[in-house]
Formats: sequence, C-alpha cells, structure tokens
Amino acid sequence: MNASRPRAVLNRCLEAAVFAIIAALALLVIVGVASRKAGFSLVWYDEVAAILLAWLTYYGAALAALHRAHLGFPNLVQLAPRHLRFGLVVLRELAIVLFFGLTAYLGWGLLSVLGGTFLVSLPWLPAAVVYSAIPIGAMLFIAAELITAVEDWNRDAHL
Amino acid sequence: MTLLLILLGLLVLALANVPIAVALGIAAVAAMAVETGLRDIPNIPLTLFDGAVKFSLIAVPLFILAGAIMNASGISRRLIALTSALIGWVRGGLSMVTIGTSLFFAEISGSAVADVAALGSVLIPSMKRAGYSKEFAAAVTSSASTLAVIIPPSIPMILYAVMAGTSVVELFVAGIIPGLLGGLLLMAAAYRVAVRRGFPSDSSFHWERVVSAFRDAVWALTLPVIILGGIFSGWVTATEGAGLAVLAAALIGGLVYRELNWSVLRKATLEGGIQTAVVMLLVSTSALLGEYLTAMQVPQQFAEHLLAFTESKWAVLALLNVFFLVVGLFLHSAAAIILVVPVVMPLVHQAGIDPVHFGLVLTLNLGIGQQTPPVASVLLTACSIAKASIWEVSRANAIFVAVLLVVLLMVTYLPAIPMSLVEFFYR
Repeated sequence: MNASRPRAVLNRCLEAAVFAIIAALALLVIVGVASRKAGFSLVWYDEVAAILLAWLTYYGAALAALHRAHLGFPNLVQLAPRHLRFGLVVLRELAIVLFFGLTAYLGWGLLSVLGGTFLVSLPWLPAAVVYSAIPIGAMLFIAAELITAVEDWNRDAHL
Repeated sequence: MTLLLILLGLLVLALANVPIAVALGIAAVAAMAVETGLRDIPNIPLTLFDGAVKFSLIAVPLFILAGAIMNASGISRRLIALTSALIGWVRGGLSMVTIGTSLFFAEISGSAVADVAALGSVLIPSMKRAGYSKEFAAAVTSSASTLAVIIPPSIPMILYAVMAGTSVVELFVAGIIPGLLGGLLLMAAAYRVAVRRGFPSDSSFHWERVVSAFRDAVWALTLPVIILGGIFSGWVTATEGAGLAVLAAALIGGLVYRELNWSVLRKATLEGGIQTAVVMLLVSTSALLGEYLTAMQVPQQFAEHLLAFTESKWAVLALLNVFFLVVGLFLHSAAAIILVVPVVMPLVHQAGIDPVHFGLVLTLNLGIGQQTPPVASVLLTACSIAKASIWEVSRANAIFVAVLLVVLLMVTYLPAIPMSLVEFFYR
C-alpha cells in the first residue's frame, strides 16, 4: 500500500494549520501588549491566546506524529529481531489508537454537551468550536500515526 | 499497588516506543479506572484541554519563532562575525567564537537545540576547514549550546516555572551569573585543549574589523536589551516579552537588514511548532496523571519518606542532583521537568530549598543531560551536523561536561551564585 499521497495531503493541511496558529498567536500577543500599553486592554486576549496554544498542541501533535517527532525510546524496537519488532510495533499502534480513539469519542460527546454555550469573554464564539481541537486533533493523530506506521513497515520490508 | 502498576505500564509502553505523552495518558486512564471506576473517564477531554491552556507557556513557541526569525535574517551571522572580530585572535579562536556567540545567542533564543542547529551549521564546518577535528568541533558547539538554557530567556525555565508555580522572571535573573560563569569556564577549557592540540587562532585582531562588525551587528545587539530589559524591568511579562522578541526580530530582520529568507523562516517556524506541540502534549497528558498523583498524595508521601532519611537540605540537593543526572541520561529535559517536578516539589519546599535556586540546579542538570547519551538531543544535533560518531564526540566532550558539572556544583552549594541578583532586585 502506498501511503505517500495521503501523507502529502495531511502534511500540507497540518503545516498550514500549525503555521497559521503560530502566526495568529504571535500577532495576538503583540496586539495584546500594544493595546494594554495604550490603555485599552483587550479582555479576551489572554483567553484566546491560551486557546490557540491548545489548538497548536493538538494539531501540532498530529504533525509531529507524521514526522515521528514525539519523544520516546526507539532503541529497543530498532534492535529487536523482526518477529519481536512486529509485536512491539503492533503494541505501539494499538496503544496510540486506543488512547486517541477514546479521546476522540469522549471529545465528540463533550462537544454535544457544550452545544449552545459560548465563551464568557467572547460571547459570539461557541465553546464547541474551542474544544473541537481535542476530537479533531485526536483523529488526525491516529491518521498520521497509521500512515507513518505503514510507510515505516513497507520500507523495513524492502531492506 | 496502583502506583506500581502505573510505573510498570509506563515501562512496557516506553519499551514499545509509544510516545511518552501517550504512555502517560494511558497510565493515567488506567489508574483512574482502577481507583474510581468509570466516574472520571468522561472528563478526560476537558482535563486534556485544560492541561494545554497555559498562558505562560505561550512564551515557548514565541521564543522559538523569534530564534527562527533571527536565523532567517542573518542576525546569527552578524553575531558570529562580531564575536570573531572580538576574540577570534585567541589560540583556538573558532572554538572561542562558538562559545562567545552562544553567550550572545542565548540571550535571544531559549532552546539549546535551536542554538546548536543555528550556530553549528555555520561554525562546525568552519572549524573543520580550519583543521579542528570534527569530534572537537561538535563537542564544543554542543556544550556551548547548554548556555542557551541557563542564560535567560530559557524554555526549560519557563516550563519549570509553570510546573513548580514559581516566578519565571526570578528564574531568568538567577540564570545570568551561572550562564556567564559557564561561558568563561568553557572558554578556559577550550583554550587549554587548543594549546595542547595546536589549534590555530581564527584571525588577527584589528580595531577596524571590530568597529565594522559592531556597526553591522548593533541592531542585533539591541534584541537582548529589548527582550530582557522589558521583562526584568516589569514592563512586560515573560510571555509578552516573547511576543516583543518576535516583533523586534521581524522588524530588525525584515526592515533594517532586509534579508528575511522566507523559506528558512517557514521551515524553522514549523519545526518550532512541532517542538512546542511535542512538549505541550506532554504537559496536557501529564495533567491526567497529575490529578491521580495529587489525589493519592504521592508527592507528599515521597517527600516524607526521603526526609525521614535526611533532613539536611544540602543532602537532599545532592540526592536530587544524582537523581536528575541519571534522569537526564534517559529523558529529554522537557519530559523530565513535566514528569518529575510535580513529584519532587513538596520535598523541595519541606527541605527549605528556595524553588528558584532549585530551578537553576534542575535546569543545569538537565542541560548536562542533553550532552550525555543515549538521550542527548543537543549532542545528537551537533553530531549530525559534524557527521561524527556520537561516542567519539562524547569522548571529546568529556572536558566540557566536566566543566558544566563544576558549574552545577558551584550553583548547588554556593547559592549566592544564582541567587545574589534575585535577592538584590526582587526580595
């Protein structure tokens, strides 16, 4: 199975999202400082900035999964004989799918609970939009992980 | 019993190369299920989201972005040229320039990996061309990059401040003297190696060259003044200072020097985004485990057991030093701070250790940890730039690691070194 096209599409989308969030975060903090110094503090600035950080966490984490950048201990898996390596890779993928699958499932449930509520500082912004980064990010993480795992395994099989 | 199962589960998952952040999350969910059944499980997404909503940590991606802009706009190159004009004439000049530029760069960037990547890509090839061994070139660049996390601003210090609930500004101030001391001692060690192995000086000293390099770098030199001046004077918070750093770096790189390389900037920004997300996912999932540990009073029990063994704060500091040096061998510094700081903080408080003093001890410890394999991201980056074996570089790096250990001992047992400026300005 060739996973390079899904990877390219996912990579492009996640890179665009991460770049946009970082740019927005920088701009927001600069505007926040400038407005405070000018004597009219934006009441929503720190809350929105913190939300952007949470979005960066979950969309960036999916991008990091696509780039195999998460902190771990790859040495044992790399040194293991092929049959054991297969078992360890399966355990890893199962663990990730299980954790983020549960997070995505509970996250969608949370969004339906939050339906109709809005942020206090920005009354036009639905809370469900704010928290959507959790289930969406979790599903993107699973997609990134599986794409990368298939690619790694195919590459390994050809060595 | 549940704690033992958590530790065992973490070990098994870590050995299967499950990301530490995910392993933490799974262990926490399992502990929750064992202790309280399914009662708290639906709260998982809320806890994860709230764990990532930390305003103070916005400084992390912003300082990384400021470093990326600096690198994409020729600011690093100008700093290297100025340091070369100032101290390149000394025997082993390029290694001095590497350490000296790290001292400058550390005042803008807060990440040792960013420092070694930015400076190493220029200075390691230069050192190799000048006849230095690739192992020595990688070693001196790697160790000098440790200064980035000691001298403010520092990303590990920001993380520690959030996890320990202490003042990031005081931590930044506490890092100034140990950072300068570390830089000077590393230079002395590099000079000794250069004399013994006959490394050349970089260039002869000319006032005209110093003046010309200074004129070219003068705008770059205003960056630390703007960033640190703003933070230390209380004009802006550390997070706002990071935003100011982005703005100042963009204005100087884009409008004054007019050489902002967009493709370098885009790549470095995305790498910074990934680094931030990796750390923040750890912060987020550790919030799940934190709830369990707090409910079970694990940190308090840990403190009581250790204090039953000794109540001397110096002995506790010695034990913590050994513990963190071992932790640094196996864990990335961010992971170590997020995992271990909440557990040891009650012990630090009960032993009467100033949390700012301890923050410096911890940061230095984990900075040294990034120089010691198997987990040594800074050393690995330097090795990859130099195309040198990690073990050969580690051998060349032994003298610099020894210097950093001496600085660690001084910071631990002579608290005036990190704390005198803090006492003078803030207490």
